[in-house]
Amino acid sequence: MGNIKEMEIELEKLKLQEEMVFKEMKNFVTQKTYVDAKIKVLSKILPTLKTLKVETRGLVDTIHSIAESAESISNKVRTLDCARNRVEECQQRVGDLIDLGLCSEGVQTAILNEDYEKGAAHVHRFLSMDQSLLRKTATDVENISSVLKAVGTLQDAASQLRTIVQLKFDEAVRMEDLASVERFFKIFPLLDMHDEGIRKFCNYLSEKLKDTAEKNLHAALNTSASDKRHNVKFADTLTLLFEGLARIIDIHQPLVETYYGPGRLMSVVSYLQKECDTQVKLIMMEFNKHRQTNKKINQISEISKLSSTSSFSKIEKVDPKDLDILIQEITIMHVRMELYIKFIKRKVISDIEISVPAIDERNNSIKQLDQLINASDLSRSKHDLLSLYLKLEQYFMEESVSKAVGMDSTETSQQTSSMVDDTFFIIRKCIRRTITSGSLDGICAVINIACGVLENDFCGVLRGRLRQGYPSGYLDLTQAYNVLQTSIQHGRLQPSDTEQIRTAFIVALNNADSSTEYVETLCDSVLTDVQKAIPNLNTNEQGKLESCLSGLSAVTTNLKEVIEYGMQQLRVSVIKPRISPWVDSFLNMNHQFTEDELSEYEAGESFVQTLIMNLDSLLSSFKNSLTDSNYDGLIKILITEVTARLEKVVLKSTFNRLGGLVLDKEVRSLAGYLTSATTWSVRDKFTRLSQIATILNLERVTEINDYWGNHDGALTWRLTPTEVRTIMNLRIDFKLEDIQRLKL
Amino acid sequence: MEDFKFLFKVVLVGNAGVGKTCLVRRFTQGLFPPGQGATIGVDFMIKTVEVENEKVKLQIWDTAGQERFRSITQSYYRSAHALILVYDISCQPTFDCLPDWLREIEEYASSKVLRILVGNKIDREDREIPTVVGEDFAARHNMYFLETSAKEAENVEKLFMKIAEDLMQQARSKDLPRYDSITTNISGRTSSISDSNCCSKLT
Ligand SMILES: Nc1nc2c(ncn2[C@@H]2O[C@H](COP(=O)(O)OP(=O)(O)O)[C@@H](O)[C@H]2O)c(=O)[nH]1
Ligand SMILES: [Mg+2]
Repeated sequence: MGNIKEMEIELEKLKLQEEMVFKEMKNFVTQKTYVDAKIKVLSKILPTLKTLKVETRGLVDTIHSIAESAESISNKVRTLDCARNRVEECQQRVGDLIDLGLCSEGVQTAILNEDYEKGAAHVHRFLSMDQSLLRKTATDVENISSVLKAVGTLQDAASQLRTIVQLKFDEAVRMEDLASVERFFKIFPLLDMHDEGIRKFCNYLSEKLKDTAEKNLHAALNTSASDKRHNVKFADTLTLLFEGLARIIDIHQPLVETYYGPGRLMSVVSYLQKECDTQVKLIMMEFNKHRQTNKKINQISEISKLSSTSSFSKIEKVDPKDLDILIQEITIMHVRMELYIKFIKRKVISDIEISVPAIDERNNSIKQLDQLINASDLSRSKHDLLSLYLKLEQYFMEESVSKAVGMDSTETSQQTSSMVDDTFFIIRKCIRRTITSGSLDGICAVINIACGVLENDFCGVLRGRLRQGYPSGYLDLTQAYNVLQTSIQHGRLQPSDTEQIRTAFIVALNNADSSTEYVETLCDSVLTDVQKAIPNLNTNEQGKLESCLSGLSAVTTNLKEVIEYGMQQLRVSVIKPRISPWVDSFLNMNHQFTEDELSEYEAGESFVQTLIMNLDSLLSSFKNSLTDSNYDGLIKILITEVTARLEKVVLKSTFNRLGGLVLDKEVRSLAGYLTSATTWSVRDKFTRLSQIATILNLERVTEINDYWGNHDGALTWRLTPTEVRTIMNLRIDFKLEDIQRLKL
Repeated sequence: MEDFKFLFKVVLVGNAGVGKTCLVRRFTQGLFPPGQGATIGVDFMIKTVEVENEKVKLQIWDTAGQERFRSITQSYYRSAHALILVYDISCQPTFDCLPDWLREIEEYASSKVLRILVGNKIDREDREIPTVVGEDFAARHNMYFLETSAKEAENVEKLFMKIAEDLMQQARSKDLPRYDSITTNISGRTSSISDSNCCSKLT
């Protein structure tokens, strides 16, 4: 049983398999046609592929053969090139040989005829030939001996010519035959003797320079004291020297450039610099000897040593006026040196720029030039001269200012005294003078020195005078001020010591004020003057100058501190003692008016009228004697004092409604008066006082709410709520509990 | 208007060749200059640094050491806030000259000036002045002391930053000098110069 079932299952399986096999067979049959078609196509392509293969092989062969022929062509070209070079070389050698022959023949004739230019030209042609090639040529050609002979002739001729030209040049120099000097100078470069030529020529020029310079110096030394150039004769001598040098350079530069080529100016200048240095040193030596600079410097340093130990000096003092002339001459000498150095720098740098194209090399050459100049005696003398100048100028400035201060005088119609004008005249003079020296370092140093003189000496004197104070010894000061005024205005009366001290005090205060303007003007003018005198300052130099000028400008800070110190003196000795009794009289008055009392008070002279009258006479006593800005400063102090004092006495008084009304009016008229007395607004200084008066002038306690709070009508209060309550308590008619109930 | 709150003047002095210019160049430009010539007169450099979040402008004056430039360089002492006195630790003579330099400083500079002694070139093998000798000298003369190498950038930044910090502290703690005190030395300069200074007016 089981077997049959199994067999049936197997049969089913086989059937399924048969079905699948049949399907696959069918598939194959259908594909056969497709495959047949493909085979057909392929069999058609096959012959084409065969020819393609053959053709490709052919192409490869062609390319090979092309490459081969290209190679052979380029070989031929190379050979041709080489051949052409050889031809050229050959031509050159032939040319050289021909020239060699000509030159060797011509050179002797030229020498015999003393036609050195021609001879040198032959040698020059010979020297321009490649000497090693020439030797090779000689071994190549058959006629060896003739070539070698020509070379030998030319070499002999060259050295012969070199000797002759040097001798002839020296002879021309000896004979002072300028035409021949120049003639042989032009021949040196043809013989490859550039350095020699430049050296010899520069020596010649130096000799000429030396003769002239010595003559000039000699003439200067023999200038009589009455001669009008006597005071600047060394500056004149130096000027002549530099002008001579500049002329030499200007005249000969084209000559050198034409015959020696560009780039030779540095060596020309360095040869000439040696003679320049010698001459500058000679002039400086005579200058120092005849102007006695050492003696003066020694005297000056002795004086400063003695004055610093503050012992009375009996030694011969150098009068700054005597130095004036010398300082003048030194600045001229200095600026001449400065200008000459600038001149050679400009000349040589432009020569370097046209002859040296590479930047690195060019910078090197310029550095070399700087070294040449910095190491020269000329530079050293210039620095020594500047040092001498600064020592003398400092002494001149300090002594002249101290003289100006010592001779200080006050014209009765002037607010300031002569020391201000004089001091700034001197300082401006010194700074202007240093500007003409042409040295920025010098200018900066003199500005620094001026700062020192102004800050220490000048401000010190002003401060010293203010320290004496402003004495207020009169019983009736108002009257005293009037006396002072008239005595100042009319210059009569033998002023008492007190008056003198007062005048001195006021004048010192004014001097400090007007000095601030002088300082500012000075700074501005110096900056423009320097920019005019030394244009093209680089940013670093500009920064240097500005930094020093800002130091000068900062002198105003010192001056303002001096003024402030004086103002405080006035506050303590004049304003405060005068104002206190005037304002304190408020305490003796009744501020609780009946209507009748009010009309009576208003009919008479009120407190504020008296106060204003007193203040007015106090102020008017200063109005003319103080400068505008000092007068403003005084009023500021006065207002501060008056309002503070008045506030104090108000707080010690009690008021009724009418009393408050009167106070409010009086504060207003006081503010009105003081506003009219000045050019600036005084309202700010009156705010507290006005607010106190407003409070005391209220109808009812609650009216304060119209002014207090966050609404439109509210004031910006300078009083605290506690202060407001305290002030309200001064009104006898305001109830304490109403005030306490206020929400502030 | 320039963006700085404090401006201080720093002046370097000392014999020629001790490395003042190199110190300044190292600090301001971050380099060690190869073979530059000796300084002529005074050189001027500016560097702004930051101290406690405040910009501090240092105006550095590099002076020439030679005698012939003395009249120029002396004129800068008076307004200096700090003076750096430099010697070369490998060159005894530069150390021996220090008393002369101090005398000059006493004569021309404000008594309140900040003074720093610097021994430079510590990178060199051939030291002649031991550190303690420098320290001792500085202590005896009430100066700060620091050893530096401009070549190896050793302590250079520290030197100038220390100066900036100290000067700022001074400027903040000090009121302007009052005139009632009888001192003749009224160099209000030693305190801060604010940016309202006239530098800006000039530029
Ligand atoms: N080894 C070494 N050499 C230095 C250092 N600082 C400067 N120099 C060298 O000392 C020489 C003088 O330097 P310089 O800055 O011109 O000196 P200055 O005259 O004081 O300004 C130069 O040759 C510098 O290269 C340093 O820190 N180490
Ligand atoms: Mg230097």
